[in-house]
Amino acid sequence: MLRQPLTRALALGSPTRLAPVTTRRYAEQAQAQPEKVEVFIDDQPVHVLPGTTVLQAAALAGVEIPRFCYHERLAVAGNCRMCLVEVEKSPKPVAACAMPVMKGMRVKTNSDLTKKAREGVMEFLLVNHPLDCPICDQGGECDLQDQSMAFGSDRSRFTDIHFSGKRAVEDKDVGPLIKTIMTRCIHCTRCIRFASEVAGVDDFGTTGRGTDMQVGTYVEKMLLSELSGNIIDLCPVGALTSKPYSFAARPWETRRIDSVDVLDPLGSNIVVATRTNEVLRILPRTNEEINEEWLSDKSRFACDGLKRQRLVTPMLKDSRGNLTPVEWEDAVVAAASALRDCPPDKILAVGGEMADAESLVALKDLVNRLGGENVCTEQYFPMEGAGTDLRSSYLLNTKIANVEDADFVLLIGTNVRFEAPLLNARIRKAFIHKETDVAFIGPKVDLTYEYMHVGDSASLVKDLASGTSGHEVMKRLQSAKRPVVILGADQLKTKEGAALLSYTQELASKLQENLQEKDWKVLNVLQRTTGQVAALDIGYKPGVGPVLASGPKLVYLLGADAGVVTREALPKDVTVIYQGHHGDQGASIADIVLPGAAYTEKRATYVNAEGRAQQTLPAVTPPGKAREDWKIIRALSEVCGEGLPYDNLDEVRSRLAEISPALVAYGNVQGNNYFAQALALAKSVQRPVSGKLDVQLKQLEDFFMTDPISRASPTMAKCVQAVLKQKQSPY
Amino acid sequence: MSLGKVFALDKVANLFNIIRQNGGLRGVLYKLYRQDDIKDGVLVGEDKYGNKYFENPRFFYGRNRWVEYADRYHLNYDASQIPAEWYGWMHYKTDLPPHQDPSRPKYKWMLDHTENLSGTTGQYTPYSTTRPKIEAWVPPKSA
Amino acid sequence: MAGALARVIQGTKSHLGIVAPLTGVSNVPVRYQQTQTSPGKTKYGPLADADRIFTNLYGRHEWRLKGAMARGDWYLTKNILLKGTDWIVNELKTSGLRGRGGAGFPTGMKWSFMNKPSDGRPKYLVVNADEGEPGTCKDREIMRHDPHKLIEGCLIAGKAMGAQAAYIYIRGEFYNEASNLQVAIAEAYQAGLIGKNACGSGYDFDVYVHRGAGAYICGEETALIESIEGKQGKPRLKPPFPADVGLFGCPTTVNNVETIAVAPTICRRGGKWFASFGRTRNSGTKLFNISGHVNTPCTVEEEMSIPLKELIERHAGGVCGGWDNLLAIIPGGSSTPLIPKDVCATVLMDFDALVAAQTSLGTAAIIVMDRSTDIVKAIARLIMFYKHESCGQCTPCREGVSWMNKIIYRFVEGNASPKEIDMLWEISKQIEGHTICALGDGAAWPVQGLIRHFRPELERRMAAYAATCGPSKAERLY
Repeated sequence: MLRQPLTRALALGSPTRLAPVTTRRYAEQAQAQPEKVEVFIDDQPVHVLPGTTVLQAAALAGVEIPRFCYHERLAVAGNCRMCLVEVEKSPKPVAACAMPVMKGMRVKTNSDLTKKAREGVMEFLLVNHPLDCPICDQGGECDLQDQSMAFGSDRSRFTDIHFSGKRAVEDKDVGPLIKTIMTRCIHCTRCIRFASEVAGVDDFGTTGRGTDMQVGTYVEKMLLSELSGNIIDLCPVGALTSKPYSFAARPWETRRIDSVDVLDPLGSNIVVATRTNEVLRILPRTNEEINEEWLSDKSRFACDGLKRQRLVTPMLKDSRGNLTPVEWEDAVVAAASALRDCPPDKILAVGGEMADAESLVALKDLVNRLGGENVCTEQYFPMEGAGTDLRSSYLLNTKIANVEDADFVLLIGTNVRFEAPLLNARIRKAFIHKETDVAFIGPKVDLTYEYMHVGDSASLVKDLASGTSGHEVMKRLQSAKRPVVILGADQLKTKEGAALLSYTQELASKLQENLQEKDWKVLNVLQRTTGQVAALDIGYKPGVGPVLASGPKLVYLLGADAGVVTREALPKDVTVIYQGHHGDQGASIADIVLPGAAYTEKRATYVNAEGRAQQTLPAVTPPGKAREDWKIIRALSEVCGEGLPYDNLDEVRSRLAEISPALVAYGNVQGNNYFAQALALAKSVQRPVSGKLDVQLKQLEDFFMTDPISRASPTMAKCVQAVLKQKQSPY
Repeated sequence: MSLGKVFALDKVANLFNIIRQNGGLRGVLYKLYRQDDIKDGVLVGEDKYGNKYFENPRFFYGRNRWVEYADRYHLNYDASQIPAEWYGWMHYKTDLPPHQDPSRPKYKWMLDHTENLSGTTGQYTPYSTTRPKIEAWVPPKSA
Repeated sequence: MAGALARVIQGTKSHLGIVAPLTGVSNVPVRYQQTQTSPGKTKYGPLADADRIFTNLYGRHEWRLKGAMARGDWYLTKNILLKGTDWIVNELKTSGLRGRGGAGFPTGMKWSFMNKPSDGRPKYLVVNADEGEPGTCKDREIMRHDPHKLIEGCLIAGKAMGAQAAYIYIRGEFYNEASNLQVAIAEAYQAGLIGKNACGSGYDFDVYVHRGAGAYICGEETALIESIEGKQGKPRLKPPFPADVGLFGCPTTVNNVETIAVAPTICRRGGKWFASFGRTRNSGTKLFNISGHVNTPCTVEEEMSIPLKELIERHAGGVCGGWDNLLAIIPGGSSTPLIPKDVCATVLMDFDALVAAQTSLGTAAIIVMDRSTDIVKAIARLIMFYKHESCGQCTPCREGVSWMNKIIYRFVEGNASPKEIDMLWEISKQIEGHTICALGDGAAWPVQGLIRHFRPELERRMAAYAATCGPSKAERLY
């Protein structure tokens, strides 16, 4: 199986092409480090591994070589020729991005020959590049602008502009997210390489040759990928820009605040660009352990959902049963009296999919102080066996970055591509560059890479766990040195969930026993939402089913919009308090609405699927009368007469630390163990399973609108429309 | 100079005259409470809102024409409650009060006088032409 | 016939005189460096008929297997194969054969690169029959009239480098050549000459023909490899060189048709025989294509280092209107810089002599232009060709060549500033050596040749344009 052109495989296989070694404990253990060679960059000696390129060696020496087509995470194309440098004893300048170092090589990055070469290339690039920087969205963050300032000539000699003009290229339509102005294209092919290597969509390519060469899809076609937005960041010029952000702002006008994404369970690191208290766009922030430098389209483009369907004022139901805006005082008093008047065991508090750890802990403390115990999450997790007592049972133990080092991945009932797009990108990376193989149990879905489809029956997991399966996957799993088993949390909702988890645990632990590297983790449970891990860590009970059946008198929904609590399922006389930021399913059934802050508006802790705590920072103020969530609950507790013992964020966080230090160990993941104990407890719940495994998100159109923010986003709605339209197209 | 003037008896007479005109002692106290002033004068006219306009040339120019606002305003009176037709007389633009001035035009399209509503709920507020940054959720109305 | 006889006699004479001194020829290859004639030999060419390798160049005889065998092809090929890899490579090294595709890399050395210890990957021989260079028409003569020479050459070259198969990438426009070649391959298979146990030597070797689709750039070795793999014909970055990572990711050698086709004869008659022709490091015989303003345009096999003037006068019937009517000659296919008449009079047709004349042997396709030629327009047409054939992958070639094309077409009418001549020179220098493949260089050289030798002509045109139409816009702007 030829997964990619072999030349590229070789170029990419060099150790330096992979993520920095510091974040990858497993990467280099197997092979001994080859001896380093000494090269000289501007007479400065550097010791690098053989196979390193001149450009990387220069970077180690602190010399940045200009480039357009080269990108650390993509294959080397070497076609922009901007990185030409003089190498002693070479008659021609060499392309630094593709040239491997040789012992004693002397590179001159600042010589006349190098400067001349750069200036020449720069001139050629500008020959056909429109000088429309004043109306170009890339202006201010354009590589071509910056590098022509630094390396270009100070005047033009392109007299032919007055005879024949410049090349003009028709724009392409690649969907509602990416705006193309192809005249600006400098043919670096980064977008093509990203689409085929990382996103796994081979739709982009070049047509024509010479000056008529065009980057595009040949037939008009939307770029059907969940990672398409990244080509906007990759494009060194303004040929590919963001459609929703077009003509919105200049980069120097925006304030950039580091934050964390909450729209998928991975907690990708982001930068929120704001101006005049408005979120304009979201960009990825490099974090090698989570998202590298990519971001999924939902995380990137759903930010316009933060401006629509917002709860901006507290609301109470009036006599006619309509929610009407009221002041905070009235709402808090109404909510507090409802809480006080309700028998404690009839209070049901539900933590939603985007609830932060601070508000979760505050809500739990409040309910507990009132004497109630029913604090639940929306997503179910089997409580039989070890339940949520052992953290390893519900986390992605292998960790996202380590998945790259796996040699066999078994996916059970999870469409990783849409549930956690960047985890899927990691698996794809391993698949392509490391000959990792993937097997999948569940319905047939497109994961952007080939996998062995084992079937969709849950009993297959049982067979694998008991070792009775005759399937090839069994052999592959047993011979794998670093196997990974990922179980989708959605599968645990069913009656057979507990047994399925138990079998998966058994399978993982059997594989684990045979491993040479004892600290390699096999078992993974991929949660669907950001809030779940923190809620389980804090002690929320997964699932609302039993409490809902017992007929609660008061339901406190903390951003619970997944639709598991409905009016139909509740008794008639129940009071529903909804606290959250969007008018969605929760708010529409509420009697009292308390407007909270979205993730861009508060400093809050989120724990991702790996169990890594990260915090968001406030980029804008909450709209209208909305307030930070934990503060609302704190105020409520005061009025209830059960004042919570924390008055500022630090005190809330020390309360979090009391519960679990992992919740405030920002950026770190604690190693999880007790797999064997979890299995021992779970053995008792093993019973035959026969159901079919199904996933919720099957197609690309299912991916875009999954939570209150993305459901409120017009861009995401356009994406769904565009994908459906594309499905009608013959291409 | 009459004897009465020498002993300032005319002042006393004026006082009694004022008290009589203003409706006796109770009336005087009420008017002092309401408008801090009692005056005697000739009732020149009354507008359709019930404001009464007086004149007494005994007072010096500038204070010899005044208005007593209709009782329904109580203490909430202000100069913008004087309608446009009386404005000219009050400000000495003309000596003819509206009902004695034949040259004043009357058209159908003339609007009724409104007082200045600033500071009240009826005040004029210009609407914003900028797009709201946040679109709030509008809860569904039950039928 | 008499002329031919005379040639034979002459050739034999000169031939006899030089055999002895050439035994000491060192086979250490030195590229392009000093031009040093072998001691004792000062006159090169004409070639004796007995020394011709391509004996059916003009298709006067049967091209099929029977005719080829009658001419000595496939004669004791088994013995050559059984002598082994080292012997063949050594013989090639002794012969001093340099690649006939244009770059002139020593073939023996190139083949020896393939004999590194195997890592389990198969090796391939790729024959570059994508003869697209304007003016060049030597490979097609081989393929249509002497295809068995090529096939036998593939077998021997394949043996020399341990290759599993040969891919002959033939230009799409060569339909008849491809079908002749295919027939010849079929004959060879049927005769057991190639395929399993080729020639009974125990060596398995397959030959495939792959027809191109008409892109000049696919004549570049890595673009050719990409094209065989089914991708866009765009040159790859080097390193890694094809000898490491080539066709389908396996070690590959790409050779020109002529290079491969002469290999059997070299092996049969000995490397020393081949090295006896031409000057040191430029040895052998070579197919020359003479086209343009000559009386009898032709393709002819001649000894290397033959003087250009003699070559034209002897084989092409001289320049139209006599030697004095000559304006300039492009000596090695369209990508080489032209040389004016005074240089043509003395230059020898070999690698080193032409490099010394600031041009290159290239494919030895001689394009003769007499005084009736609009030299600027001729070069402009060549640049247009390169602009059209640029693959568009790397910046200097994609943008630079089309820019040069725009400028030079203005030069044709003179609508330009004399200052732009220097600019054009600089642009061509900015392209040369900055591209992934040699197409950029090939596009830059004709322009450089033009400016080097015909600058007064360019200036005259600009002055003429200014006199009739007023100063050019470019004059005012730049």
